[in-house]
Amino acid sequence: MKRFEELFAPHMDAAYNLARWLTGNDSAARDVVQESALRAFRFLHRFADGNSKAWFLTIVRNESYTWLKASAGHRWVAIGDELPEDDAALSHSQTPELLAIHMENAALVQQALCALPAIFREVIVLKELEDMPYKDIALVVDIPIGTVMSRLARARAMLKLELLKLHSHD
Amino acid sequence: MTDLNCTACQVLIHGYLDKELDPTTTAKVAGHLAECAECTRLHDQARLLTVSVKRHAPYYSAPASLTASVFAPVVPRTSTVERWRNWFAPAFSAAALALALVLYVATPGSEQPLMDEAVSSHVRSLMGEHLNDVVSSDRHTVKPWFTGKLDFSPPVLDYSAQGFPLLGGRLDYLQHQTTAALSYGRAKHIINVFILPTTESDKPPITQSIRGFNVVSWQENHMRFVMVSDVEKGELETLGQLLRKGA
Repeated sequence: MKRFEELFAPHMDAAYNLARWLTGNDSAARDVVQESALRAFRFLHRFADGNSKAWFLTIVRNESYTWLKASAGHRWVAIGDELPEDDAALSHSQTPELLAIHMENAALVQQALCALPAIFREVIVLKELEDMPYKDIALVVDIPIGTVMSRLARARAMLKLELLKLHSHD
Repeated sequence: MTDLNCTACQVLIHGYLDKELDPTTTAKVAGHLAECAECTRLHDQARLLTVSVKRHAPYYSAPASLTASVFAPVVPRTSTVERWRNWFAPAFSAAALALALVLYVATPGSEQPLMDEAVSSHVRSLMGEHLNDVVSSDRHTVKPWFTGKLDFSPPVLDYSAQGFPLLGGRLDYLQHQTTAALSYGRAKHIINVFILPTTESDKPPITQSIRGFNVVSWQENHMRFVMVSDVEKGELETLGQLLRKGA
């Protein structure tokens, strides 16, 4: 119990933040973190040494997806890397001023980030909010380290697009 | 210098921004940016975007109540009465936790933490003066004492005749479950028998040695038995047989 607490108490904020961003609500995030802590406790003997944050966040991420799948029921579709490219829209960001204005609007930034598919939202959360290095993101998200950069490139491009889209709804 | 096309560069600018590129690639990207207005524009936009997310996207810190419930303190060691008063509130509030634990912890393959906890509890029970909550060799005193404190009925029997006098019982807390702990004497040695409910089917006894203590465990009638002591393996197994026979 003591080792468990020493290892994971420092990462409770990171765990809750990730779960909260992935599930989108507080009570689900609490459940996810509780479940994850139980799992971490149960499999503590498998955690040798190393990055306890990445290890814990990996569990939190898996539990978050389990929750997302369960809450989406049969509507769940695993979203792979092959999303339809929206190149026309991506290259046509001819409204830099509006983008700049929207980037200063906290509510819009939050809304745009929420609108991203989970696999893109999570890399933004881990990089921008958690400030994790690519090698740790690769562990948590379970992709090769070489894929982290391209995933982030996509995620940021999509986020920019979302921010511009929000404008058109105003 | 610029053997880098724009498509490749537009991915690399992210590694460049995040300072994740090796020096050679960093130099290539910097070279390309110096000459390419479009990539520079995208780079600047991406940089502003990351700054904007850092500044405006909320960071959700873990609620204190969540952290408290995840790292719930284990058994306060105070007087029996007080302990019980202090215990019920957290016990109920952790009902969901306990339920989840039945599913997660009571599944096969999770034995080792339990055995470890049992050994620790055995050691603690000998260190303090808290071996027993109810001191009696009379099973008709010990058994009713457990009633209402546990949601299962552990077998309580005295084996004085066979050389294992019942010393008493207490409540313990293993694997996040309220556990009955019976203590038996064997010459000058103490044997702790932990009994907790399980949803699993019966399992034959296993003897192992953990941190110098002998541990015998088995499952029967949806109860899990763990005996811990420094007595010899054979003697511990003898008491195990008596407990299983229930005579």
